Amino acid sequence: MKTLVEMSDIRKAFAGTAALKGVSIALQSGSVHALMGENGAGKSTLMKILAGVHQPDSGAILRDGRQVVFHKPKDALESGISTVFQELSLLPNLTIAENMFLGREPTTAFGWVDHRRMRREAGNALAELGLTLDPGTLVSKLSIAERQFVEIAHGIMTDASVFILDEPTAALNAADVEVLNHHIRRLKDEGKAVVYISHRMDEIFAICDTVTVLKDGELVGTRPLAEMTPAALIAMMVGRELADLFPQRGDAPGPAMLSVEDFRITERSKPFSLELSRGEIVALAGLEGQGQQRFLRSLVGQYHPFAGRVTIKGKSLPLPVPPGGGVRRLQAMGVGFVPEDRKEDGLFLGLSVAHNIAAALHSKRSELALAAGYQRRIADTMSSLAVKASGPGAAVGTLSGGNQQKVLLGRYLAADIDILLVEEPTRGVDIGAKSEIYRLLRDFTRKGGAVLVLSRETVELIGLCDRICVVHNDTIVKEMPAADATEHNILDAALSANGEANGAGGERR
Amino acid sequence: MTAISRRLTGARGSRQGMWMLPLLIALAIALWLSLETAQFLNGENLLNLVPQAMPLVITAVGQMFVILLGGLDLSVGSMISFTTAVLALGGPAWVLIPAVFVLAALVGFTNGFIITRFNVHPIIATLSTQYILLGITRVLRPVSGGTVPDIVISAVAGSFLGVPMPVFWGIFTLLVAWKLLYGSRFGLHLFAIGGGVSSGVEDAAHNFGIADRRNIVLAYVICACFAALAGIFLAGRIVSGDPNVGLLFELDAITAVAIGGTQLSGGIGSLHGTVIGALVMALLANGMNLTNVSPFIQTTIKGAILLLVVALQSRKKMGL
Amino acid sequence: MAAALANPVMRRVLRVPPAYYVFAALLVVLWIARPNMLNLNIMGIFVRQIVPLGILVLGQLLVMRVRSIDLSGGGVILLINYTISSGVFPGASMAFFIALALGIGLAVGFFNGLMVGVRRVSAVIVTLAVGIVLVGVVQYLSSGKPPGDVPGMFADIYNTKLGPAPTPVIFWVAVSAALSLFLSRTVFGRYVMSVGENVQAAHFSGVPVARTVVLAHTLAGLFAGIAALVQTASIAVGSVRVGLDLPIMAVAATILGGVVFGRGEGGVWGPFFGVLSFALLFVVMTTFGVDEPGKLIAQGLIILLAAIFYGIRGRSS
Repeated sequence: MKTLVEMSDIRKAFAGTAALKGVSIALQSGSVHALMGENGAGKSTLMKILAGVHQPDSGAILRDGRQVVFHKPKDALESGISTVFQELSLLPNLTIAENMFLGREPTTAFGWVDHRRMRREAGNALAELGLTLDPGTLVSKLSIAERQFVEIAHGIMTDASVFILDEPTAALNAADVEVLNHHIRRLKDEGKAVVYISHRMDEIFAICDTVTVLKDGELVGTRPLAEMTPAALIAMMVGRELADLFPQRGDAPGPAMLSVEDFRITERSKPFSLELSRGEIVALAGLEGQGQQRFLRSLVGQYHPFAGRVTIKGKSLPLPVPPGGGVRRLQAMGVGFVPEDRKEDGLFLGLSVAHNIAAALHSKRSELALAAGYQRRIADTMSSLAVKASGPGAAVGTLSGGNQQKVLLGRYLAADIDILLVEEPTRGVDIGAKSEIYRLLRDFTRKGGAVLVLSRETVELIGLCDRICVVHNDTIVKEMPAADATEHNILDAALSANGEANGAGGERR
Repeated sequence: MTAISRRLTGARGSRQGMWMLPLLIALAIALWLSLETAQFLNGENLLNLVPQAMPLVITAVGQMFVILLGGLDLSVGSMISFTTAVLALGGPAWVLIPAVFVLAALVGFTNGFIITRFNVHPIIATLSTQYILLGITRVLRPVSGGTVPDIVISAVAGSFLGVPMPVFWGIFTLLVAWKLLYGSRFGLHLFAIGGGVSSGVEDAAHNFGIADRRNIVLAYVICACFAALAGIFLAGRIVSGDPNVGLLFELDAITAVAIGGTQLSGGIGSLHGTVIGALVMALLANGMNLTNVSPFIQTTIKGAILLLVVALQSRKKMGL
Repeated sequence: MAAALANPVMRRVLRVPPAYYVFAALLVVLWIARPNMLNLNIMGIFVRQIVPLGILVLGQLLVMRVRSIDLSGGGVILLINYTISSGVFPGASMAFFIALALGIGLAVGFFNGLMVGVRRVSAVIVTLAVGIVLVGVVQYLSSGKPPGDVPGMFADIYNTKLGPAPTPVIFWVAVSAALSLFLSRTVFGRYVMSVGENVQAAHFSGVPVARTVVLAHTLAGLFAGIAALVQTASIAVGSVRVGLDLPIMAVAATILGGVVFGRGEGGVWGPFFGVLSFALLFVVMTTFGVDEPGKLIAQGLIILLAAIFYGIRGRSS
C-alpha cells in the first residue's frame, strides 16, 4: 500500500470563522477511507480543498509525495482526483458524454468535436460500472442516482486514482446503494483510494477500512475500522465537553401556539404532528437534508406540502400557503421566519441597520402609509440585542457575522412577533456571539414567545431547546425532552430509522 | 401532457427547444396564404421570399449565438445600417468588404469586452453601442444615398448556374453557423455556459474552465459579423447606403430566435429552430403584404408576437 | 488602479453620482466658451425643452431602483400626442385630455408591471415590444402622416412664467420634489429600497415584491403620461415621431444620476441633475456645432461610461 495523497496541517477560515484548524489526513491506495463527524465538523471543507474548489489558508497537499497546489477544480481533476459532490455539478442541457468530456473534448480534423469518440469512451466508462445508459442521453433526463453514477464514471474515465464521494447515498434507495458499494469495492481492488463521507453506520462498517473523525474543524483521530464498534465511533464523534454556553431551560410550557397535525411534506412521506407552546424552544434535529428545512419552508409557502392542518394561536392557516405572500401572511399572524443564509436571503447588506430592523415593521403596513421612523424601537432593539455598530445608520455589511445575525433576529423581535421559525440561528458566528444569541432566544420565550429551530449543530439544539424532534425521511421519527437528549441518542434515533426508511424512501428530489 | 404535445413543445429532455411547433405554424401560414391569395403560389412571389427572408435569417442566426449563452445583442440593427453606410462610401470592394467585417468584429469585441471585463449587463452594453453606432452611421450618411460596389449588387441580384444568388447566401450562412455551433468545442461550450446560467449551476461551467471570457467575447464577435453579412446583403438589394434600414431589426431577430424555440435565458435552442423562426416572420410579412394589411399595423403585429412569445417563456428570476 | 480605488478619498469621490461632476464640468465649459449664455432667460428656455425628459426620468428611476427598466415611454408619448392632436375628440376639455393621458399611461404601466413583476418576463423586451405596438397603432391610425394641431390651451399654459422661471420648469421641480418626498416618507419607498437591494431578503422580510414592482411600473406609466402632456404642449402640433428617443435618454440620465439597477444612491435629485446635464450638453453641443448624430454618440457613450464606472466601483468595494 502506498500513500497517494497526504494533506498535512490544513487550515481554512471563512469570513473569520475557522472551519479547519490544522487537519492532516493520508489516503492509501487500495483502501476506502471513511470521513466522519457531525454536520459542520469540516468534512466537506476538507474535501473541497482536496478537489480544488477551495484553497487552504495554510498547510500542504502531497500527491505521490510531491507537493501540489490546486488553484481550480480542473487542476485536481488533472492530477487524478475525482469528486462526486453532494450538490450535483452536471449541466442538465448536455448529454452524459458531453458532460464527461467538458473542457477537454477530443477533436478530429478541422476542429470538429469527435462526438463518436466521446460517446464510445463515455459508454465504456458507463459499462465498467455496469450501467446501460446511452451516453447520448441528456443529463436532465436522468434520475439523481443515475447522475451520481455518471459522476463516478467520469472519474473512472479520467483515470483518477483518488475518488471522493460526499454522501453519495443520501439520495439513493437500498438497491442503488448496493450497486454503488459494489463499484467502490472494485475501485479499491484496482488500487484506487476512495474517500467516503456518510452518516450511515452500516455502510461505513460494510465497505470502509479506515476512519478519520473530525470535530469542530479539528482532527479527533484516524483508526482502522476493524478496531472500532459503532458505539465507539459515535463516542469519538460526540466527545466534547459542553461549554457553559447555554441559558437555563424554560419553565413549564404554556398553551399551544402553533400546532401541526397530520402533516405530510411530500406525497410519499409519513404524516406527523407537532405542537409548539408558549415559552418553549423546540428543535428539529437530524441528519442534514432530511426534510427539516422543507417543513419550515412549507409553512411560508416555498413548498407545497401534500397534506396537513396548521393552527396558529387558534386560527387555522389554509394550506398550501401562497409562495408570493406566505411570509407576509405569517407575519400578520405573528410568525417570523428567519432564513439560514443571512447574506443572500436575510439581510440588506448595503443598507443601514435601521432599515434592516424596521423592514418587517414596514411590511405590516400598506404601501401608501407614511413610513414611521421607528427610531425608539430601533434604538431599543439595538441596545437590548447589544448590536455593536457605529450607529443605526451603519451599513449592515460592515458588521461582524454575530452582529449581523443579531440584526436579523432583531428585525423580527422588533415587529411584535411571538412565534419564530429559525433556520441555523448561529451559522458562521463566533462562540461569544452564539452564547448571546441563545440568551436572546430564551429571553424571547420568557416574554411569552415560542421558537421552532433547526440547526446542523446537534449540540446547540440540545443545549438551547426544551424539546427535540428528530426528523428523518421527511417525517418526525422521535420526540424527546432536550434534557434527556444526547448527541448519541439523537444520532441513534436518526440512524436506526434508516433501516425502515431506506426501502420506502427511495429517491428524493 | 400527451407524447405529441411534449414533442411539439420540447418541454424536457431536448436541447433544441420547441422547433416543431413553429414549423407547423410556418406550414399553416403557407397553407392559408396559398388558399387565401392567388399570388402566394405564384413563382415570382416564391422567388422573392428567399431574398426577403435572408437578412433576417442571417441576423437571427448571429443573435442566436449570444442568446444561447444567456446574453443579448441589441446593437445588430445599428450594425446593419452602419454596414450599408460604409459600403456606400465609395471605394474598391476589396477594401470595403474586409473593412466591414473588421469593423464588425471590433464592435462585437467591444460589446463582449465591456460585458466580461466590467461586468456590465449585456443589454446596457449593447444598447449603448447601438446608439454610438447609429450616431456614426448618421455622420457617414445622414440620409439614404450613395452607391455600393457593383460586385455586392450582382452577388445579391444575379444567379449562378440558374440558381438565384440569395440561395447561396443562405447556404453559406447555414454552413458557417453549423460548423461553429455543432462542429466545434466553442459551440458546445456556448450551450454549457448558457445551461449553467439558466439552471443555476454556473459553477459547473466554471469548474471545467470553459466559462472564460474568450468564449463570451467570441459569441458577440460572431453575432456582429453575421449582422454585417446581413448588412452587405441588404446593401446589395437597396443598392445604396441607408442609415435607417436596420432600425428595429434587433427586435425582429430576437423575435425570430424566440419563436424558433430558443430560450432567452440560455442553454436551449437550435440552428434549425432559428431558421424556422425567421421563416415564420418572413411568411407573416409576405402574407400581410399580399393581403394588403397596412404596413403601419404590421409593426404592431410584430411587437405583439414578440410580447406573446416572451410571455410564454417563464423565468425563475425577475430582471432585465 | 486597485490601490487608487482603495483610497478612502477616492471611494468617497466615486460615491457621488457622476451627474454632479458632469453638470459642473459643462457649466465651466459653457462659462469659458459662451459666458453670455449663462443667464436665467436663456437657460430657462433650454431647461424648459427638457422638461418632458425630466418627468419621464422620474418613472425610469423608479423602475430601475426595483431592478427593472421601462423603454415603452416613447410609445406612450406618441399615442397621447396623437389622441390630443388628431381631433378624434373635438372640443374636449382640458380636464378630459389630462384624464385620458393619465389613464393611458397608467394602463400601459400596469400592463408592463404585470408582465415584469408577475410573469417575470424580460423587462427590456416587454417594454420595447409594448412601445413598438403603440408606435405601430399610431402610425396605422395616422397612416404615417402628422395629425393636426394641438388645442391652443396647451400652448397657452406652456408659455406662461411663474416669476422668472417658465411654468413647465417649476412644474418639473415640483413633481420631482413630490416624488422625492413620496419615496422618503412612505412605506412604498422602503419597499423600493428593499427590493432594489436584495429581492430574496425583501421577500423574507415580508415585502410584497411582485406588488412593489407592479406599482413602480404603474407609476412610471403615469409619469410617461404626464411627460406626454408637457411634450405635446411644447411642440403644439401632432407628430408621428415625437418622443421616440426619450426612453433611452431617460435611461442614460438615470444612470448618470447614480441610480443603477437596484442601487438608489442618487435618489431623485441625482437623475434630476442627470437631466440638467443633458440640457447643458445639448446647449454646449449646439454651440459647438455638433448635430443630431453627435448627440446620439454622446448618449451612447454616457450610458457606456457610466455603466463601466459602476462596474469598476462595484469591484473595488
